[in-house]
Amino acid sequence: MGKKRKHTETEALANGNKEETAIERPKRTLLGFKDGCTEEENKETSVVTFRNKEKVLVTCSRRISFRYRHLMLNLVSLLPHCKKDNKVESKDAKGATLNELVELKSCSSCLFFECRKGKDLYLWMAKCPNGPSVKFLVNAVHTMEELKLTGNHLKGSRPILTFSSNFNKEPHWKLLKEMFMQIFGTPKDHRKSKPFYDHVFVFSILDDHVWFRNYQISCPHTGTQKIDRGDLEKMTLVEVGPRFCLNPIKIFAGSFGGPTLYENPFYVAPNQIRSLEKKQKAGKYAKKVKAKTRRKMHQLSNPLEVDEFADMWKE
Amino acid sequence: MMVKDELAMMNPENEDSDPETESEEGDEEEDQQVVKLAEPSKTAVYNRDGLLERLADISWPDNLDWSHRLNIDREEQEVVDVNDDLAREHSFFTQALDGARQTYLSFQSKGEPFLRPADYYAEMVKTDTHMEKVKGRLLAEKRKMEESEERRKARDNKKLAKEVQAQKMKDRAKQKKQDIESVKKWRKQRQQSGFDKEGAAGLDLPFDEGDTKPFQRSNKKRPGVSPGDRSGGRATFGGKTFGGKGKGPDKKRKSREFRDSKFGFGGRKGLKKQNTAETTNDFKGGFQKGEFSAKNKRAKR
Repeated sequence: MGKKRKHTETEALANGNKEETAIERPKRTLLGFKDGCTEEENKETSVVTFRNKEKVLVTCSRRISFRYRHLMLNLVSLLPHCKKDNKVESKDAKGATLNELVELKSCSSCLFFECRKGKDLYLWMAKCPNGPSVKFLVNAVHTMEELKLTGNHLKGSRPILTFSSNFNKEPHWKLLKEMFMQIFGTPKDHRKSKPFYDHVFVFSILDDHVWFRNYQISCPHTGTQKIDRGDLEKMTLVEVGPRFCLNPIKIFAGSFGGPTLYENPFYVAPNQIRSLEKKQKAGKYAKKVKAKTRRKMHQLSNPLEVDEFADMWKE
Repeated sequence: MMVKDELAMMNPENEDSDPETESEEGDEEEDQQVVKLAEPSKTAVYNRDGLLERLADISWPDNLDWSHRLNIDREEQEVVDVNDDLAREHSFFTQALDGARQTYLSFQSKGEPFLRPADYYAEMVKTDTHMEKVKGRLLAEKRKMEESEERRKARDNKKLAKEVQAQKMKDRAKQKKQDIESVKKWRKQRQQSGFDKEGAAGLDLPFDEGDTKPFQRSNKKRPGVSPGDRSGGRATFGGKTFGGKGKGPDKKRKSREFRDSKFGFGGRKGLKKQNTAETTNDFKGGFQKGEFSAKNKRAKR
C-alpha cells in the first residue's frame, strides 16, 4: 500500500501534467503519523520508485496489405507491453476515434499503421493523452517471416535500444528518440517481460530516414554469468527482423492532430511521385507528335533543290 | 536518392523470400526513385521551441536509473553511403554489437543476469515450426553449394582424364611410329651389309637372325609335356577325353599315352628314319652291310 502511494506521488512529480489528480491525494504515509515528507526524501524515492507504465495500442487501418499486417504483428510480438486492437476505418476523423480508443484501452501511446491504396504504409506514432504524434512513411519493409532472417530470441525479453549519434543533433530527432525509447522499450519489471536480455534494437538515422533493425545477441557463454573477455569477443549478432525504414513526414503537437511542429522539407508524397511518372509516360506520345510536326515544318521551309540533270538520260 | 538503395537492397533479398510481393515492391521503389526534392521546401514548418517543449513534457526524469531506459547512444559515427547496402548494414551491425557489449559489461559489473541461461526455456518470438523452416532452408542452401562443388570437381576430373587419355594415345602413336621406323632402319642396314650374299632378292624374311625366334621351338619346358613329346602334349591332354570307361582301359591308356609320347604317335616320322650327315659318315661298323644293318637294327630295337 505504502509503496503504491509513494509511487503515485512521484509519478505526479515526474509527469505532472499527465496525472493531475494525483496531486490532490492527501499526503499520508503508511502509519499516518509521518506527515511531513521532506523534499530530499521525496527526490530519493522518485528515483527508486519511478515506474514506467507505458502501454502501447497497436492497430491498423482497414484494407491493409498482408505484408504490412505481418509487420504490425511482428511488432506486436516484439512489444510485450502493447495491446492489439481491431482495424480502424481510416477516415479524416480517425484521430478522434483513435484517441477515444486509446483512452478506452487505457494506453499511453499508440502505433497506428495506415495503409493507403494498398501500397503506401504510413505509421503514426503518438503519445496519447496529449503528447506529440509523428507520422512516418514506411519503406523497405521486411517481416520477421522472411527466411533470410535467421535469428530468434525470447518473446518479451527487454530490448537494448541503440541510437546513432545523429539523434542528438536536432530537436526533432531528440524528440523522436525519446518517443522511440518510451514506446519500443519494454518497461522494467513488466509482468510479461522476461528477466534476460537477448536482443538489440537499432535506430539509426541515415539520409534523414530512421532505419530499424532487430538483432539477437548470441554468445557461447561458458559459465553462468562470469565476466569473460573471450565471451565478449565471441559475442555475435544474428538478425531477427523485422526491418523497416521510417521517413518522418510531420510531427504534431497533439495526439493525432494539433499544430504542426515539424515538417519534412524533402518529403514528396508517393501519390505525387506516381502522378509525375504517369505524366512523364503520357508525355512520350506528345513528344513524338511534336517531333513529327517539327520535321514537317522543317522540310517545308527547306525544300529540296530541283536536280537539273534528272531528265538527262530519259530520252 | 535513398530510394535507389532501397531498391538495390530489396531486390536481391526479396528474390526468394516472397516472390509475389517483389514485383509490387519493385514498382513502388521505382516510382520513388524518380523523385526526391532536391531543394528543401521553404514553407516547411520547423518549430524548434515547440519541439523542445514537447520533449520536456514527455521525457522521463533525468535522474532516472539507466536500467529503465536501456538505451545506448553511439558516440562517434563515420558517414555511410546509404546506397551501399553492405556498408549500411555493417554500420547498423556494429552499432548493435557495440551496444550489446556495453550493456553486457555494465550488467556484469552490477552482477545482474544478462543473457538467457542455456536451460531457460520460454516462448520465443519465432515459433519452432518457423525455425525449422529456417533451418531447412539453410541446410538446403548448404547442400546446394556442396552439390555444385561436387559437380565442379567432377567436371574438372573429367577434363583431366580426357587430357591423360589424349597423352596416352599420343604416346602410343609415337611408340608405334618408332617401332616401324626401327624396323625400316634395320631392313636398310641389312640390305646394305650381309643381305646380298644370300642372293634371295625377293625373300627378305628375317629367318636366321635374332628375330627368327617366333619360328624356333622355344626351349622352355611345357608343363605336362614329356621331353620327347612331339605331339605337342596332345597325348596327355587329349587322352583323358577318350578314357573314362572303367579302370582297365584307363590304365592301359595311360601306358599307351606314355609310349605314344615316347615313341611318337601322330606327327612326322620320316625324319627319324632318314640318314643324316653323321650316320652316312659313320664307318665304325665297317662296310659290311649286314653289320651296319645289324647294328642299326640293334640300336633301333
